[in-house]
Amino acid sequence: MHDGSGRIVVQGLTKQFGPVTAVQNLSFTVEPGSVTGFLGPNGAGKTTTLRMLLGLVTPTAGTSFINGRPFHQLGNPARVVGAVLEAQGFHPKRTARNHLRVYAAAIGVPDQAADHVLDLVGLGAAGDRKAGGFSLGMKQRLALATALLGDPQVLVLDEPSNGLDPEGIAWLRTFLQAYARQGRTVLISSHLLAEVEQTVDQVVIVSRGQTMYYGSLDQLRGSQRSRVLVQPSDASALVAALQAEGVTGIEQVPDGRLAISGMDAKQVADAALKAGVSVYGIQEERVDLEQLFFQLTNGQYTAAGPNPFAGPQTGPQQSGYYAPPQTGQFPQSGPFPQQGYPPQQYPPGQYPPAQLPPQDYQQYQQQQQPPPGYQQPGQGGYGGGN
Amino acid sequence: MLTNLVKAEFRKTTSTGLWWGIMIPTVLIALGWALGTGAIGKSIMDVVNSSDAEDLTQLLGIDSSQWQVSVFGMARSINIATVFPMIFGGLAISSEISRRTITTTFLTAPNRVSALTAKLLVYLAWGAIFGVAIVASVSIGIVITSDSAALPDATGWVAMAGVGILSSILMTMFGVGIGALMTSPIATTIVLILYMLILENGIQLVLAAQGVPSIIGFLPNGAVNGLTGSVAANLFLSTAGVVPDELNEVIRGIAGALGAFDWWLSGLIFLVWTAIFFLGGWAATQKKDIT
Repeated sequence: MHDGSGRIVVQGLTKQFGPVTAVQNLSFTVEPGSVTGFLGPNGAGKTTTLRMLLGLVTPTAGTSFINGRPFHQLGNPARVVGAVLEAQGFHPKRTARNHLRVYAAAIGVPDQAADHVLDLVGLGAAGDRKAGGFSLGMKQRLALATALLGDPQVLVLDEPSNGLDPEGIAWLRTFLQAYARQGRTVLISSHLLAEVEQTVDQVVIVSRGQTMYYGSLDQLRGSQRSRVLVQPSDASALVAALQAEGVTGIEQVPDGRLAISGMDAKQVADAALKAGVSVYGIQEERVDLEQLFFQLTNGQYTAAGPNPFAGPQTGPQQSGYYAPPQTGQFPQSGPFPQQGYPPQQYPPGQYPPAQLPPQDYQQYQQQQQPPPGYQQPGQGGYGGGN
Repeated sequence: MLTNLVKAEFRKTTSTGLWWGIMIPTVLIALGWALGTGAIGKSIMDVVNSSDAEDLTQLLGIDSSQWQVSVFGMARSINIATVFPMIFGGLAISSEISRRTITTTFLTAPNRVSALTAKLLVYLAWGAIFGVAIVASVSIGIVITSDSAALPDATGWVAMAGVGILSSILMTMFGVGIGALMTSPIATTIVLILYMLILENGIQLVLAAQGVPSIIGFLPNGAVNGLTGSVAANLFLSTAGVVPDELNEVIRGIAGALGAFDWWLSGLIFLVWTAIFFLGGWAATQKKDIT
């Protein structure tokens, strides 16, 4: 029937809801033995993609496979894939144990499985309580228990941390990692990278219904760059001195400072001293993973621009792929830009993004127009992103 | 596989309080109506059989002492009580959609056809269970308040019980279909009750007043009432001796089968209505995006 590989393959999935394109030509593969994060801002099409994978939503185009088969050809699907899609699929008047026994019967596993999964998710004592009286965190645990009933090889979770307390999140993290270590497949969606950063090994990052990155988290992490922001007395003299030293990653940022990549603050200060240029201010800035995530996804509500990571680049070849926005055909061999990062992706007026608290990113996502002076794509980007 | 799904669907219906929450009023209404109609029938027959009226009945050449008037009350009581299994059926799919349990239902079934087939089988069974409860309650009620002469014989009772259970099953499936199309439990309940108890009765009055009562037999409520009402009228007429032709329509009206066709044709017409809504609801659920 199915090939037992535990592999999830999504090929060119597209979904139109009336005039709205929720998912556009999305492709990625999830391998067993690791936890894969499915990341993107709200409205990026994550839930729709997972529901198409699980046969709940009919795709407009494209196909998806679990163990080499579409969902409806899996036979007894709950024995292959368990899913936590929302923490609300319960009849409020049905007890947790009865809820599980209903689906245990449907899957064809013995009733003891209900008690087993209740204990597994820490709801052993609450089994006879009605689901309507559960907290959101308890409902998440019950949803996970339901997904585990058939002891599936593949686990798909849509924003499972919602409503969980820190202890619950830590527990879930350990649980999912242990699950993946057994050679099973775990796909977990989130709109916050930080939330799953410690859980996942692989990431699929989507925005505007398209895949922006897919590969290992370590490689994404390895692409983190730092740069130095310096305010010199004589910018042109410093630029000349730096260029004489062979530094090419120099850019003027909107507030008049120079941004230099490929050097640390100490080297820049030494170079300035040698050139006889005064330094009024100097600051080292690291772009962390979360910012990289923002850059990859924050174009969602702005006019579609070229994907800064999609064009031809120089730099070491990596196995993480960046997809161009419109094609989405994987694997896309676009070399990773080692030098520099995209100029247009920083939050307007709030540069550097390191100062941007994560809870605000939703806000700037919706920023339609950059302020005057904000550097547009293709205008001599920082480090040659285009 | 289907056995597993049927077991799951059955557990769904027994693990919440809905089934007995609906069963209690079903039994009370069936019993109450049977008691009431039995008492009304008895008091009418007391007048008809009284010595004052005896001259008149003898003049007409009829013997009212053998009139099985209780069958009218049975038919009416069954018709009213089957509204409850219809609502029970109406909540089958609409409640799953509104409470989002449909997601897990579809995730744990090989495909939607098998999930919905299991539901169909379980609600057929529930329609029969409600039907048995209704027939039993109606029988008890009618026995208590009717004269034994007014009761149907064993064959007649089996006929009434048979169409009673059949109409309960059909009403349940009718509800399942409407619920699957409406997808909202509240809207489904309101629409079903309003239509079956008020709206169509109004339409029937208009049709009767316009002199075209035969159209009533084609309407859902008219057809399902015709199922039980026609059997009741036939039972009555078969044992009442000579009844003037003009009284036939009156008797069918009393039985709740005005304008209705023969019981089997009425049942067939209601089956078509049920099939239209059930298959429509099935098709809608089959291709619905569960978001």
